[in-house]
Amino acid sequence: MKSPRTALAALAVGIVAVLALSSCASGPATGTNSADATINVGSVYEPQNLDNTGGGGQGVTEALNGNVYEGLFRLSDSGDVTPLLAREYSVSPDGLTYTVTLQNNVTFHSGATLTSADVKSSIERVTAADSQSSRKSSLAVIAGIETPDANTVVVTLATKSISFVYNLSYVWIVNALATDLKTTEDGTGPYELGTWKRGSSLSLTRFDSYWGTAAKNKDVVFNYYTDATALNNALLTNAIDVITSSQSPDALAQFADNPDFVINDGNSTTKLLLAFNDKQAPFDNVAVRQAVTEAIDNKKLLNSIWGDYGTLTGSMVPPTDPWYEDLTSVHPYDQVTAKQKLADAGFPDGFTFTLDTPNYDPHPAAAEFIKSELAQVGITVNINVITPDEWYTKVYKNHDFAATLQEHVNDRDVVFYGNPDFYWGYDNAKVSALIKEAEQSDTTDQQTAKLTAANDIIVADAASDWLYLYPQIVVASTSISGYPLNGLNSQFYVYDIVKS
Amino acid sequence: MTRRRDRSAALIAGLICVGLIIAIALVSLLYQPYDPSDTSGGRLVAPSLAHWAGTDQLGRDLLTRLMMGAQIALVAGGGSVVIGGVLGIVLGLGAAFATRWLDDTLSAVLDILIAFPTLLLAMLVIAAQGASLGSAVLAIGLAMSAIVARLVRILAKRVLAQDYITAARTSGSSWPSIIGHHILPNIWPTVLVSLAIQFGAAVLAEASLSYLGLGAPPPNPSWGSLLQQAQATVYTAPLGAIAPGILLVLLVVGMNLLADGLRDVGDPTQRRRA
Repeated sequence: MKSPRTALAALAVGIVAVLALSSCASGPATGTNSADATINVGSVYEPQNLDNTGGGGQGVTEALNGNVYEGLFRLSDSGDVTPLLAREYSVSPDGLTYTVTLQNNVTFHSGATLTSADVKSSIERVTAADSQSSRKSSLAVIAGIETPDANTVVVTLATKSISFVYNLSYVWIVNALATDLKTTEDGTGPYELGTWKRGSSLSLTRFDSYWGTAAKNKDVVFNYYTDATALNNALLTNAIDVITSSQSPDALAQFADNPDFVINDGNSTTKLLLAFNDKQAPFDNVAVRQAVTEAIDNKKLLNSIWGDYGTLTGSMVPPTDPWYEDLTSVHPYDQVTAKQKLADAGFPDGFTFTLDTPNYDPHPAAAEFIKSELAQVGITVNINVITPDEWYTKVYKNHDFAATLQEHVNDRDVVFYGNPDFYWGYDNAKVSALIKEAEQSDTTDQQTAKLTAANDIIVADAASDWLYLYPQIVVASTSISGYPLNGLNSQFYVYDIVKS
Repeated sequence: MTRRRDRSAALIAGLICVGLIIAIALVSLLYQPYDPSDTSGGRLVAPSLAHWAGTDQLGRDLLTRLMMGAQIALVAGGGSVVIGGVLGIVLGLGAAFATRWLDDTLSAVLDILIAFPTLLLAMLVIAAQGASLGSAVLAIGLAMSAIVARLVRILAKRVLAQDYITAARTSGSSWPSIIGHHILPNIWPTVLVSLAIQFGAAVLAEASLSYLGLGAPPPNPSWGSLLQQAQATVYTAPLGAIAPGILLVLLVVGMNLLADGLRDVGDPTQRRRA
């Protein structure tokens, strides 16, 4: 009979052996730079649906753009536009005809082969009457699309469009026969859609028949959180590997001195706007808009929301756009001047207006700040907190608002001020003409000069109050690399992410 | 003696807790350290002589906002109790005096209302009326009325079964007279205790709705809103979350202790046992 000590020793050895074996068994799952790794991404931007022409929101761009869907051209993380599904392209001497030759052997995730007919229908999805694409008006310049053969697309423009190739980078190429694109997909990207658990996660799986360079990881799971604290805790506990865009500077303290994490401060194109309804009194009056703009201390607001992060631009144009210039001095914070302008405009005692405020951060806090600032010049602000769906219907679609807060994620979107039918209703014939002329420029320098001039007028008119440019803070575990650092258009390419 | 002393201690503790919150609210009506919308304090400033509880993300004085939060909590609790109490007593008495089928129908409706989650009911009312403190109070009061009505119905029926009620009816007393002279005096201690407990529940419900952005609209500093706003900065400025949490606990626990004490005061059997 064995003694109790021997039995205990045997038990201890057994436990150690089991632990050792189990640790060996879990090794390959994490691997070193494993091509079979699963990357867990954390985000607060869950898509509303999976269609970027159907109001999917910035979440659908973040998860699917470049990963599941590809365009003829690709906007890189550094802002360059390069051919992707377009193998090559040429432009006619008059700048009105673009002939695009497609890559060979490209298949959709359904197995169908990419043809020029798919490209034609994909562009037409964006320009369709019911499309909600932000580039719909920019692509309205298209006069016709022809498909002389299965591999060639010829696009004819009504007028020259120097941004045409750039605008095409917004067009996802989708199988023309695909249906129900709000819940399923059929793209050509390096990943196909796995499962989408609404309110929780969206998974992508490497597409084995991808035409280009295969993704460097096998699976990517976008995990969605409704608040920044839960998101940060998920990274701290290794439930996720990377946060696409940190929502609070205060949470960064947890990661700042921790060698297991790295904080990246990249370039953002996301602006927070106090958008006025420029067609409706009192904001149809330029002096009133100027007064409101000058009565709000944007620097203090930025510091309140983002601490030491973020940038003031004084306009819609972020520093990554070629026509950027610092216009913060045009309407400096000066409540004395603001009061005088209000008096000159016929509002010596101020006025009252309703500020439609999306119900997610940072809008409510920004609205409270604006209410406090404007109270000091006699303006009463009634904050009306609404859901994103309400905002879309009430503000964006029906233009039923006095002023609103909203974030605009795209770069090169100052051109929206050239469209009098856009939700803010800014209508300045000179600006529209300049933007139109810029689009018809022969060179980038000409385009830059025209858009710079247009932007100067837009800012002088205080068409909106561009409160600040968001920071783009990507926080990641040091065990991964190859993730994008910049938040251009809120896209987040995941195919180069490697986990060690 | 010891149990009686314990109960007295509970009553006193409850009075102190609730009295403190009422005092804070009353003081805030007359005096606030800063303008509640004044953002000049600096971002997330730590507690100091200038700002006893520090400042929030926008630089507003946290103590001022906490004091104003006490007003909102008391209005939410008081308003809900008034709506729930009046409606509940009327419905409960109506059910007690109603014919059998009407009583059964009312009881079934009350049971369904009680089974329906208060917050969900509140969200439905708010969806119809829009988010505001008034909508929240109305919704919480409606949900509360079912609980009060059921209690009043049971208590009133118990009184109605007594012989002296039969005697009173035989001698020609009217129903209003019976309610005024016999039913209400007999049931009020229990109803009062129930309303005190419901007061605490209403304060919690309002804080929950404000936390979800469905209560008093910004910039009204409901304690629930303060908790929600402090969530993102809880690591760098924990007092922003701790302070409204403590005040919330103080009021709710205080009301529950007060209810316990009131029950003992109003219940002769409890006094005899002690």
